[in-house]
Amino acid sequence: MYLRLLSLFSLLLLSIGHADDYELGHGVHVNDYLNVGGYFSSEFESNSQSDTFTLDDVAVMAYGDINPMFSYLAEFEAVGFYHRNLTDGTEDGSQKFHAERFYGDLWMSDDFNIRFGKMITPIGYWNMEPINVLRDTTSSPLYSMLLFPKFLTGIDINGYVPKTEGMRYHLFGQNNRDLDEEYINIPNTHFFGFSLEKELSMEWNTGGSVGEYITKTNQRTRFIEANLKYDDTQWQIMTEALIAKSDYNDIQDDYALAGYAQAMYRYTPEHALIGRYEYYNDHHTEYKDNIAILGYSYRPLYPISIKGEYQWHSQHDENRALFSLSVLF
Amino acid sequence: MKTIILFFIFVSTVFGAQYSIIISKKAAVSALSADQIRDIYLQKRHSVGDQKIIPLNLVGQDPSRIAFENAVIGMGRDRLNAYWVKQHFQGNSPPITQPSHESIKAFVQNVEGSIGYVPSSMADASVKVIYEF
Repeated sequence: MYLRLLSLFSLLLLSIGHADDYELGHGVHVNDYLNVGGYFSSEFESNSQSDTFTLDDVAVMAYGDINPMFSYLAEFEAVGFYHRNLTDGTEDGSQKFHAERFYGDLWMSDDFNIRFGKMITPIGYWNMEPINVLRDTTSSPLYSMLLFPKFLTGIDINGYVPKTEGMRYHLFGQNNRDLDEEYINIPNTHFFGFSLEKELSMEWNTGGSVGEYITKTNQRTRFIEANLKYDDTQWQIMTEALIAKSDYNDIQDDYALAGYAQAMYRYTPEHALIGRYEYYNDHHTEYKDNIAILGYSYRPLYPISIKGEYQWHSQHDENRALFSLSVLF
Repeated sequence: MKTIILFFIFVSTVFGAQYSIIISKKAAVSALSADQIRDIYLQKRHSVGDQKIIPLNLVGQDPSRIAFENAVIGMGRDRLNAYWVKQHFQGNSPPITQPSHESIKAFVQNVEGSIGYVPSSMADASVKVIYEF
């Protein structure tokens, strides 16, 4: 598996080298049936315990249109490919590739599209663009990593809501285990939800989701999420909030509440300054944190992202600095 | 950005539309709004009614393409590039390109549902004009 995927990655790099009209970040268009791409990210973190370097994501992806109605996407990724603790000198890492996404799309009309297989859960802004190179900060808000499964192995019926202007829906469900349980934040056996997103104008959009999942440890969680974003050529302002109620084996109900507000100012297309305030409160684990983040993003080309940020936590020993370099091919 | 868009609107108003978006005469579409064209070129929508639409772009940095992106899509080159990089991760490709206005017109004449922009002087009776800018 590892050798095969390493070969695929080599093939991708070779394809890029030989493609005449290749543009970084747009993949290699082989033909209508096959486009290939990939990405990697590396991170340096400094906190009160240690300094670490991680080659975090190494991924290859392929997608294409089999015919006007059917398309597919496959993506394999190794997370934590190489990790070095610079404080004590230890090294580890996993070169095992996991199925991140593996799905087909059956297009019936703009109002009715069926996606089946393993996919990113269509909730919120951060989860839909989960890779470092597409984000504006190295870190993601905690809500997007801790409060709902990032992936869905099931079916997502989606499209535009008929008779509306720019309103899209997702109705998704999973009634089985994940395609690759080693590679999901919350292993679960049931996951159902509904999302709406509305484009209010070129700059404004809003949306929300409701859902329910049951973990492998039989914890049932229901959640509701809402989001709002403004984005023009200079400013981007976004906010999201999520509240989740979990039933722990019928013994006790508890709530988790999380949200953030973020502002980004692009003073040139390449340079941006980002500030984010985050709130996270999980009553069950009694983990509560207020986080302030100040970050800087430099993109010499859009698919090349160099970022730095500092996080101030109300849990003082969690303050940290993060730096990353990521590239999308 | 607003200045550029206002400039194109001003030029179009004073001197008449420079470019026309055309579709095959056989297609069951007679006019599209700027929002519909924008959604089609951003690959958010793929049809109008029952008519599947295939958008065509001119390759490179031709003035007609820049005018189209600013006046109809409403996005400059940097923003569009960022959009298509994100779409690449989602498994979506930008519209196919053609080397010239002549090839766009020939493609539109031969493939039902394809649309593209050409100088208004090229929009004759062999095609249908669905939008002007």
